[in-house]
Amino acid sequence: MERILPYLFLLSAAAFLVGCEKEITVELPETAEQFVVEGSIEPGLPPFVILTRTQSYFDPLDQAALSNIYVRNALVNVDNGNGPVQLEQLCSTSLTDDQRALFSEITGLDPGLLASVDICVYTTGNTALFGEVGRTYTLRIEAEGKVLTSETTIPNPVVLDSVWFELALQRPDDDSLGFAWGTLSDPDTMGNYYRWMARRISKDEDGISEDPTFISPLGNTFEDKYVNGLTFDFSFIRGRQFYSDQPEDNNEEAGFYKVGDTIAVKFLSIGYDEHEFYTSYDENVSTQGDLFGTPVNARSNIDGGLGIWAGWGVYADTIICQ
Amino acid sequence: MRALPALLLFLLLSLSASAQSTFTVSGYVKDAANGETLIGAVVYDKDTKQGASSNTFGYFVLNLPPGPHTLVMTYIGYSDDVRTIDLTANMTLTIEARTNTIVAKEFEVVGDRSKQNTEGTQMGTMDVDVSKLQTLPALLGEVDILKTLQFLPGVKSNGEGNSGFYVRGGGPDQNLILLDNATVYNASHLFGFFSVFNADAVKNIELIKGGMPANHGGRTSSVLDITMKDGNDKAFHGQGGIGLISSRLTLEGPIIKDKSSFIVSARRTYIDVLAKPFINPEGAFAGSGYYFYDLNAKANYRLSDKDRFYLSGYFGRDVFNLSGSEPGSPNFKIPWGNATVSGRWNHVFGPKLFLNTTAVFSDYQFSFTGGQDDFSFGLSSGIKDYGLKLDFNQYPTVRHSLKYGLQYTYHIYTPSTVDVESGDAEFAIDTPSKLRAHEGAIYIQDDYDVTDELRVNLGVRLSYFAHVGGFKEYLLDDAGRTTGIKDYTTGQPIKTYAGLEPRVSMRYKVGPTSSVKASFNRNLQYVHLASFSSIGLPTDVWIPSGKNVEPQIAHQYAVGYFRDLWDRKYEASVEVYYKDMFNQIEYAEGTQPQDGGNANYDQFLVFGKGWSYGAEFFLKRRMGKFTGWAGYTWSKTMRRFPDVNNGNEFPSRWDRRHDMSLVMSYELNERWSFGGTFVYSTGQATTLPVQRYFIEGRVVSQFSERNSFRMAAYHRLDLAATLKNKPTKEINDKTTGETTTVQRKYRSSWTFSVYNAYNRANPYFYYFTTEGTAAGGDLRPVAKQVSLFSILPSVTWNFHF
Repeated sequence: MERILPYLFLLSAAAFLVGCEKEITVELPETAEQFVVEGSIEPGLPPFVILTRTQSYFDPLDQAALSNIYVRNALVNVDNGNGPVQLEQLCSTSLTDDQRALFSEITGLDPGLLASVDICVYTTGNTALFGEVGRTYTLRIEAEGKVLTSETTIPNPVVLDSVWFELALQRPDDDSLGFAWGTLSDPDTMGNYYRWMARRISKDEDGISEDPTFISPLGNTFEDKYVNGLTFDFSFIRGRQFYSDQPEDNNEEAGFYKVGDTIAVKFLSIGYDEHEFYTSYDENVSTQGDLFGTPVNARSNIDGGLGIWAGWGVYADTIICQ
Repeated sequence: MRALPALLLFLLLSLSASAQSTFTVSGYVKDAANGETLIGAVVYDKDTKQGASSNTFGYFVLNLPPGPHTLVMTYIGYSDDVRTIDLTANMTLTIEARTNTIVAKEFEVVGDRSKQNTEGTQMGTMDVDVSKLQTLPALLGEVDILKTLQFLPGVKSNGEGNSGFYVRGGGPDQNLILLDNATVYNASHLFGFFSVFNADAVKNIELIKGGMPANHGGRTSSVLDITMKDGNDKAFHGQGGIGLISSRLTLEGPIIKDKSSFIVSARRTYIDVLAKPFINPEGAFAGSGYYFYDLNAKANYRLSDKDRFYLSGYFGRDVFNLSGSEPGSPNFKIPWGNATVSGRWNHVFGPKLFLNTTAVFSDYQFSFTGGQDDFSFGLSSGIKDYGLKLDFNQYPTVRHSLKYGLQYTYHIYTPSTVDVESGDAEFAIDTPSKLRAHEGAIYIQDDYDVTDELRVNLGVRLSYFAHVGGFKEYLLDDAGRTTGIKDYTTGQPIKTYAGLEPRVSMRYKVGPTSSVKASFNRNLQYVHLASFSSIGLPTDVWIPSGKNVEPQIAHQYAVGYFRDLWDRKYEASVEVYYKDMFNQIEYAEGTQPQDGGNANYDQFLVFGKGWSYGAEFFLKRRMGKFTGWAGYTWSKTMRRFPDVNNGNEFPSRWDRRHDMSLVMSYELNERWSFGGTFVYSTGQATTLPVQRYFIEGRVVSQFSERNSFRMAAYHRLDLAATLKNKPTKEINDKTTGETTTVQRKYRSSWTFSVYNAYNRANPYFYYFTTEGTAAGGDLRPVAKQVSLFSILPSVTWNFHF
């Protein structure tokens, strides 16, 4: 909401300004490569860690370049208090289609991409290391002479009172498009942090889920600073994958759910550091190319690198849009 | 801090030492045609070469030995007034100056009042005569005082089309902007594209960028002192103009002839009206609009030669509405603006003592209300000032000119107040405490002619600031989480600060037309503007010093060489300065306006220091058909904050290595005149992403060191041509057949101007994005430059009667 304000001013200015835009060449300085962690653990599931490296901003974005960002053969350990357990490396091109579908859900990456680019994830089948609410997990990574460490705790999930679909008021003449809603009763103690994720699991004509993964739309990480102990309704738009070329992400249906969709909802409880990361990450991603955005780096909880190691307390539910 | 007693002692000694038997000539200098008092007119005695210049109220005092004297009044654009007096007792004099119509008018902007360039102790002071600004090119034909200031060396603009200005490495909040002695907090309309000052209502503008005298304080960088016109006390007149985006009308005249006059000036933009045809009435944004308006008014009354009253006011509002015609579309209403009122009383106690008493009220408000469906959001902030100033001018002896006084302001700040409702649930956001503070100062300064060559201006200011209750402080734990609330009762001191601010400047004449000047000043600033974005939006919030916010301090050292050339047709100067700035303020990286809810006002701030140094070169031609000036500045401005940029030093946003400007005006004949301006400056420092990585399939940017990039250099040429109607008309007397030439009562002119004449695409901001699609295989990162104004012609019609 707060971001709207500057745009309003720009809009007003645009009423009489004659602006123009052109492509330029910018010389970037050489900067040292850093390792980036994207790791999470939730109750009943093993930890998943993706380890990549940063690229210069203007490096090509083709598949070969993408494949090169994955750091392979790293020593990744997770300790839940009972001693470190080493995670195994799984790389997407050496998986079966079913494994790859699971892999896609976890990483948020497109299954097509996973088949063509060798993307690696570190995880384990050791059930002793599967997530438990209230437990703290220490991560330690060694690769190419670098050491990265972090720690996270899985908070108690907060249960939503209800979730439902409602037609959008913006479109009074339309009886198919709308948003996902939920009612949250925030616990009485200050310091609850939340993140919303959802996925359309209804099948498209090819018989696969409309969304390959859970997607958290930008700007949907929040805290109870202003809503502590309150019960209130909130709505969420439909998130889209980055660079999505699905038709419904590029026409008037973008951002809307539709009657007939089935939505799997994951309502996450997270910790303070994780909230710091996700809010700054959202800000960083959503203000790219924004005059009013002050440059904000995502605030990492990884020592020795960038990214996030997050424990997720998960409340799961399903909405059938009708 | 032993400086104060030493200084006072020095003053006393020097006063008593030079006491001798003289008489006093005092009075006012006025324009004979309209009764406006003239500021900075020089009155001098031809024989003794003693001189004085008139103050802001046109008042001057000369101490002379008894006997006959030839007094000369000189003022740019006016004929010299020469009169002989025989001084046997103190006498008062009103000099009515006549405009000079024979010699081609000088270009008025700036700094000199004939010999002031080399004679005064003042450094870094520039005057702008508003009446001539109309012949200079202006963006969309809107004559803008603040943008003209940006052509002066040492003054930098805040980017394309912006009226915000930065002086010698200081921030925008470090400029004290006074309109008839009342502080104006936010001097721009709409994004900063237009300043709030309507040039038609303004008489005089003085910018002090260095060597700030002791009577001004509370800001660390500069003083912009704007004096509104008093109004014509002889006859009723009007003037105005119709431009592309706004129209103006000013009316002035006597209330009681020669005793009392008024002036009212109004301006309104009609962007909303112009934009309406382009907004689809059925579309989502029907009912949207933006406009601003200004109203200036002033009246004065002369009770006697000893007492004068002035009442002046300014009221300006920007209003922006966005409302959709469809149910469920968002609605917003965003008004913001300034209001100031100042009442002043001049009293002449005796010829040697002049008192100006000012009562001031100043108000800046911003609010935002918006909503969509049953969600509503509000944000508001503001500042209110109530003040009283007593300023004495005393002229005890020939060699001394004293100023002393006291100033007091009561501030009430409303920090960002957030209000959110969703359906029936009102979000639990406390209304934040208003912040209340007392600010006071006493000062004394002496302009002292030690010898004929050496003049010293010694001053000291003692300032005081107290943040007082009622106030609700959130108590925080080490991690910054709220653990409780502490209440302060009304008037209870929470934190007080006091400080001495010595100010010294001196001039040493090294020749008949050249001098060397030096100055030092220490300034304290107790109010701060914390900015969320880089461009100065009305959401920026003024906050006072307090428990965790120490006053800003600046120390500035400057030396300069000043010289008049070729019969004083040209003036030239070189100034070098160094400035240290302490307790500079910024929001912590990533802070957003709405973070202020349920938190202390100072919770998200970080503090650091800054420094700036540079050399300024200035050459001006002030007489003849061809006038104008050239300025060049080399400077460097840096900041270091422990919590910003990993504690490494970084260039400030307004760091420009090179900055050059050219301003030219040519009067071809009595009907045609031409103006042109050119600016060149080093590109603005900016922060850009250097690396990228992926999280959840999205591209995340990793930014460079703060401001480690330079945008392309900025340069622009603007041109203007003004065509006036003939100043005279011929009347044919039918009975006698004789033709006589008379002055026209009604004058009008057309100003044609072109902004950005060679259509330079100047950078406004850079951004990085991607083009193509992953599926198409042509996805690639690109850098883009956005420019704001391409070549923009405009025409304005002005009239005067």
